[in-house]
Amino acid sequence: MQGSTRRMGVMTDVHRRFLQLLMTHGVLEEWDVQRLQKHCYKVHDRTATVEKLEDFINNINSVLESLYIEIKKGVTEDDGRPIYALVNLATTSISKMASDFAENELDLFRKALELIIDSETGFASSTNILNLVDQLKGKKMRKKEAEHVLQKFVQNKWLIEKEGEFTLHGRAILEMEQYIRETYPDAVKVCTICHSLLIQGQSCETCGIRMHLPCVAKYFQSHSEPRCPHCNDYWPHEIPEVFDPEKEREASISKSNKRSLRSRQH
Amino acid sequence: MSEQSKDVCDLNFAAEASNSEVHSSPGVSGGPSLPASQAAIFPGPESPPVGPTDAPLASPAPQAPSEEGDPKALQQAAEEGRAHQAPSAAQPGPAPPAPAQLVQKAHELMWYVLVKDQKRMIIWFPDMVKDVIGSYKKWCRSILRRTSLILARVFGLHLRLTSLHTMEFSLVKALEPEELDRVALSNRMPMTGLLLMILSLIYVKGRGARESAVWNVLRILGLRPWKKHSTFGDVRKLITEEFVQQNYLKYQRVPHVEPPEYEFFWGSRASREITKMQIMEFLARVFKKDPQAWPSRYREALEEARALREANPTAHCPRNSVSED
Repeated sequence: MQGSTRRMGVMTDVHRRFLQLLMTHGVLEEWDVQRLQKHCYKVHDRTATVEKLEDFINNINSVLESLYIEIKKGVTEDDGRPIYALVNLATTSISKMASDFAENELDLFRKALELIIDSETGFASSTNILNLVDQLKGKKMRKKEAEHVLQKFVQNKWLIEKEGEFTLHGRAILEMEQYIRETYPDAVKVCTICHSLLIQGQSCETCGIRMHLPCVAKYFQSHSEPRCPHCNDYWPHEIPEVFDPEKEREASISKSNKRSLRSRQH
Repeated sequence: MSEQSKDVCDLNFAAEASNSEVHSSPGVSGGPSLPASQAAIFPGPESPPVGPTDAPLASPAPQAPSEEGDPKALQQAAEEGRAHQAPSAAQPGPAPPAPAQLVQKAHELMWYVLVKDQKRMIIWFPDMVKDVIGSYKKWCRSILRRTSLILARVFGLHLRLTSLHTMEFSLVKALEPEELDRVALSNRMPMTGLLLMILSLIYVKGRGARESAVWNVLRILGLRPWKKHSTFGDVRKLITEEFVQQNYLKYQRVPHVEPPEYEFFWGSRASREITKMQIMEFLARVFKKDPQAWPSRYREALEEARALREANPTAHCPRNSVSED
């Protein structure tokens, strides 16, 4: 039953529990996913060796394929953290959100989404979004209410807010990339390196090509003189650091130690 | 495998004033209590999932059926089975859809159910019909059945009709033990902790908890009604509106008190999903005491656990380790 075959995957209780928990959490960072995987092995199959995460997930995905769902791996656009979510590939609309939000709220999201995609920076200002409340379908929404709804989006990890401006959360990009590419084929921006949807990133001022921040970090990692891969002009922006999961883990351990001293509820 | 069909069959037979033999019926194909017509409706137990379909992924858009039709869908599904024996002239009906389309509907329903459960929303049968099944209402039983099968096989979850009266379904874990999951990633599920905090306060008091008492307790966590919290956001809205909407809490005015005061009670969903033993263990963890430090409550919890075990010897008991104590 433990087949770690690369062909048609075999579902065991380890995989099932993993799927259940991944679904419960919506989106998880890689570190949590690894912990989750280990937990599932511990619960159902202590003696087995924990399969490499990539293979483990590919195994599950081969079973999910016929259901048109997939465990998708993405990377947050601002700091390059790997994230995972269970995604429905068959959707042609914002169906995951549809059950959560009212018609006018969904429309607000669509308007914000359009502004974000059309913008140069990948951010849409709160003011610009709120100015569109009169155009929303469904029940009339006031600006105050719309502010509240935007916060709901942030809490549910569909949007990120930075200094009064909104952009898409990594989770939204993961889940809606297909929808976005189909709905806005002309406005959509794409990263030259990884060819995925690009919302935030850096662009070459000469030829206009764009790259995700983590893609920039990786591409220019050991270059002393970064140059545009397309037109060879100097790359004018600051090169970010490549995401290092080890450093990240240490930082979060000390953070959670402090947190657990305060709130002992778990 | 009969586990899953039992759940879906419950849907049919319960509506027909079920007889107890349903629970021991071996399965869809070949069950002697099943009229032959029903077996014809079901596509067969192990029909392999249709491979790469050339049918376009965009399924025929579900027409919104008439609103008053929905609550009757269950009845209708049951009637069909019963009436099918008699030559029914009154049902010209469209031609049955291709199996591929039924399969796709089952997949859509599976996702729908998973997302509703993820959001801790009630899975309501009329919603399922309105939002997903749509014009395939006549085949909803086979769609439901296939969905249940997939959920069980791939996710290890049972889609169970928890209340025929309110037509609510829920996803029940079929894997044991269940409790460990919460511990494993507990620092990522703060809502549960917050909710448990309030529920256990109510439980320990043995009656409703006044809002002021709840805030006294939440103050220990650094939560205040006027302060927005980094994780919870607007805490007051969360506990007085969202948890109430999700039926985890009830928020009611205290009668005959001026100025007006409010109190919290357990909601129907909390009573269903959370056991007294879970509360006792939560309290034990928080206060670093043995659960038996609250002897009368602990006794109640033990009795409830025993009753649950007797009622549901299989997967439904959420606190499996009680039996190992």
